[in-house]
Amino acid sequence: MSNSIYGIGLSGLAAAQAGLLTAGHNVANVNTPGYTRQEALFAARQGLFTGSGYFGQGVDVTTVRRVYSDFAVSRTLQSQAASTELDARSTALSQLDSLFGDGTSGLNVAMDGFFASLNAVSTNPADTPSRQQLLSSAQSLVSRFQSYSQQIDTLRESANHQISNTVDTVNGYATQLAKLNQRISALTGSGRAQDLPNDLLDQRDQLVSNINAQLGVTPVAQSDGSFNLFLSNGQALVIGSTAQKLVAVRNLDTPQNLDIGLQNGAGVLHFTSGDLSGGALSGVIAFRDTTLHDAQNELGRVAIVLGDAFNTQHRLGQDLNGNLGGDFFDVAVPSVQAATSNTGTAAVAAQIASAQSLTGSDYTLRFDGSNYTLTRESDGTATTYATLPQTVDGMSISMASGAMAAGDRFRISATQDGASGIALALTDPAAVAAATPIRTASAATNVGTGSLGAAAVSNGYAAGPLAAPLTLTYHVAGGSLTGFPPAVPVTVTVNGVSTTYPPATPVPFTAGATVSFANMTFAMDGAPADNDTFGIARNTGGAGDNHNAHLLGALAESRLVGGTASLDGAYGQLVARVGTDTNQAGIESTAQAAILTQALASQQAISGVNLDEEAANLQRFQQSYQAASKVMAIAATLFNSILDIMNH
Amino acid sequence: MRVSTSQIYALGAESIGKTQSDLLRTQQQIAAMRRILTPSDDPIGAASAVAVRQSQARTDRFDTSIATAKDALAQNDSALSSIVNLLQNARTTSIAAGSGTLNDADRTTYANELSQNLDELVGLANAKDGNGNYRFAGFQVNAQPFVRSSAGVVYNGDSGVRNVQVDAGRTMAMSVSGDALFLANPTGNGAFTAIAAAANTGSAVVGATQVVGGATLTGHAYQVNFNVAAGVTTYDVVDTTLGVNVSAGNAYAAGSAIDVAGMQVTLSGAPASGDQVAVAPAGRQSVFDTLAALVAALRAPANDDASRAQLANRLAAGLQNLNQALENVMTHQAQGGAQLAELDSLSDINSERAIAQSKTLSRIEDLDYTKATTDFAKQQLALEAAQKSFLSVAGLSLFNNL
Repeated sequence: MSNSIYGIGLSGLAAAQAGLLTAGHNVANVNTPGYTRQEALFAARQGLFTGSGYFGQGVDVTTVRRVYSDFAVSRTLQSQAASTELDARSTALSQLDSLFGDGTSGLNVAMDGFFASLNAVSTNPADTPSRQQLLSSAQSLVSRFQSYSQQIDTLRESANHQISNTVDTVNGYATQLAKLNQRISALTGSGRAQDLPNDLLDQRDQLVSNINAQLGVTPVAQSDGSFNLFLSNGQALVIGSTAQKLVAVRNLDTPQNLDIGLQNGAGVLHFTSGDLSGGALSGVIAFRDTTLHDAQNELGRVAIVLGDAFNTQHRLGQDLNGNLGGDFFDVAVPSVQAATSNTGTAAVAAQIASAQSLTGSDYTLRFDGSNYTLTRESDGTATTYATLPQTVDGMSISMASGAMAAGDRFRISATQDGASGIALALTDPAAVAAATPIRTASAATNVGTGSLGAAAVSNGYAAGPLAAPLTLTYHVAGGSLTGFPPAVPVTVTVNGVSTTYPPATPVPFTAGATVSFANMTFAMDGAPADNDTFGIARNTGGAGDNHNAHLLGALAESRLVGGTASLDGAYGQLVARVGTDTNQAGIESTAQAAILTQALASQQAISGVNLDEEAANLQRFQQSYQAASKVMAIAATLFNSILDIMNH
Repeated sequence: MRVSTSQIYALGAESIGKTQSDLLRTQQQIAAMRRILTPSDDPIGAASAVAVRQSQARTDRFDTSIATAKDALAQNDSALSSIVNLLQNARTTSIAAGSGTLNDADRTTYANELSQNLDELVGLANAKDGNGNYRFAGFQVNAQPFVRSSAGVVYNGDSGVRNVQVDAGRTMAMSVSGDALFLANPTGNGAFTAIAAAANTGSAVVGATQVVGGATLTGHAYQVNFNVAAGVTTYDVVDTTLGVNVSAGNAYAAGSAIDVAGMQVTLSGAPASGDQVAVAPAGRQSVFDTLAALVAALRAPANDDASRAQLANRLAAGLQNLNQALENVMTHQAQGGAQLAELDSLSDINSERAIAQSKTLSRIEDLDYTKATTDFAKQQLALEAAQKSFLSVAGLSLFNNL
């Protein structure tokens, strides 16, 4: 009898000790990441049958188990993947956001400064310091574009760095996970089914969570206790004890971007933007390939439109030395990148045909062996052509050399290098073309009130400039002007209605009408008298002429970008886009973080260590231990009583 | 619900962190005095701010242009005043020189004075502006516009007028070209001239001329030829443009008007037989040529009836031309004055616009201080509460009592 009391007491001591050990383990691991609280499970021993019925024989410690919920853990993993993705995107976006600042130092300020300097030249065109000031503020505008572009490049580079670094980290985790898988399956295979290596399982869960924070994964438990890990697109990352290797690879179409790839035998499986979801990496990639990419293109578009429009008008002017204006800005040419997988020999060239029609999108040109398909990436619009060259969205695309093979493709972006490629082409203040190349005059002997307004020239004038001064004579009979160059037609526009007069015919003089011939234009006004003459001559020595500067200044308000927005307006739209994206990402990130907090709370409610609880447990098991000791003491007393009887 | 100890700490730290970051943001807003620190704070507001700044920049440009135009026009005005004074002086001199009591020597003195005026006028016409550019040279601001030569004063400038944009849709001329100011003055009464031939031997002097009310001029040149036969003076009118006689043998009476195709000329004195008066549509003459002609007229000796009549005719014609020149300069001056007045009002409009734009920008970007400081106090309180409550929660442990 006392034997069995000893046994019961002993089992109680062992159970209390197991309880104390488990509670102590819990207390010790209260700060261990990924730790799941454990509890010792007890079961009453099978009773011993006697004539008086079953007598209990004490307690057994069945096992030590993790207090764990698959549901809570997988829910946490899902919210973690979403939350880290949004958080990374939001963090990256706020870097871009702060680039655009609070509006007191943005591109628009540099642009406004540039046009203010232009205005100064316009009011005093012969003044060299004003012209120098214009060049300086143009340089600062160009530098602003370039600095934006550099900072955007820096953000792209840091995204690329993050990708290549993280890929290494994830590979490390995946390898550890594969090793743990191996140990776990060996341990679970060898022991009782209910005895699991709890702490190894915790370590493994923590590894999964670490990977998941970088790149969204789904674990699938196997019967041998191991986990298989799959990427969000279904590709396996870890199968049993084998980890696949992730690599950072250059994008086939845009080599300046790094993508994630999966080593697949000798080859590499490429994942492009949108293939993977979840985790910080997906957030960074999404940022790089959407807002950052679009911001760079949009900024480039503003730079190209500004440069192109300014150059076009500047070439229609005349500088202080009496020469026709040259280019004011150097404007970037479209970038064409052949896919690294191309097998043909073709080199494709793209030029800007009309800067105002450019979009901020990239284009992909594909060849299927007989037809060319051009896809606008922003909206996926695809157009098929049988031949090149073609002009699309302000770009002309042509085959520079060689021939394409079926399956070849080219990435074309007109605006990508716009902001980095804009530069100031002029260095000589005298070369600013503030004047118009031709001027009109009324003869001093004219009796009538007729006059010709300020003249202007249009595109093409440089190819056929005014050779010799023209003298136009008014004849009261017929009310017309003669003296236009013999070989060119003359167009007269009255109230928007144009009439073209063949060469060598008299042209009627109409007050308020606009006359144009040989790329020259002037207005007619007043009422001339018979034989009054008007001169049109090259504007030799016209240092005080500000007409072209005036026209250049008007570009500040013209709706040049896509025909709908002014330069400042387009910049404003870009600011709004970046601001909206950042704002939106911030809100989404906060919302998702709240969901994650909730998921974590319910997971912790099940699996987290509560020190007060453990304190109570320690107290409880301590008392159990003391009680079991007392059982032993009583058993000993009982035994001593028997011995005492024997001694008497 | 069970709560894990690490969660108590994590949540505590998180809520303190969040309150801290809110507080810091408000502090930054207060320090920067702006509501929008980056575009994401208010994307629409940030984009509107870019647009308002663009309008502000445009207002600034107009402001600069208005100020420049005002300076230029004010300088022009004072230059034109000097020219008007000079021409009025010359006019007074010319009138005084016409007095019948003067002898050749007196007239030479006047001629010298007028010649002096001419020199001064050339100097004024070649004036430079504050930037060292010739003021009345059109676009040829670097070349001296008026140069004396054997043929008189030659204009080397052009007709260029510098326009400046002073408001949306309003460009204004801020310069006057030399040819418009000095060269293209109509001669005679502005419509036609009546010039006595230099070879006239009679004492007829051309007096008042006018276009007969409402008549449409033919634009032809005419000549009035006088005949004196038996003490009776008659005149013929010839259309020299067409080479036809218009009328012949009209009776002449001194002081009565002669009508030549709508152009009325009144002669005084007695023409001699063969004397001629040319009546032709007005031409154009430069003010320099007008002054030079007056000087030449005064230098010519006048000691008999014929030469005195000649002098009177030349002085009268010159004075008429001088009046036209003066009127032209004064018209330009008046125009400049009107432009200055318009610029003043544009400048006022522009200032109002600038104020409105600043207000708009301030409404978009500026911080509501009351709200910000209230928020700050509230957030400060929240942070303190979060810290204190965290401390007391963290301090609660059963282990303390074991």
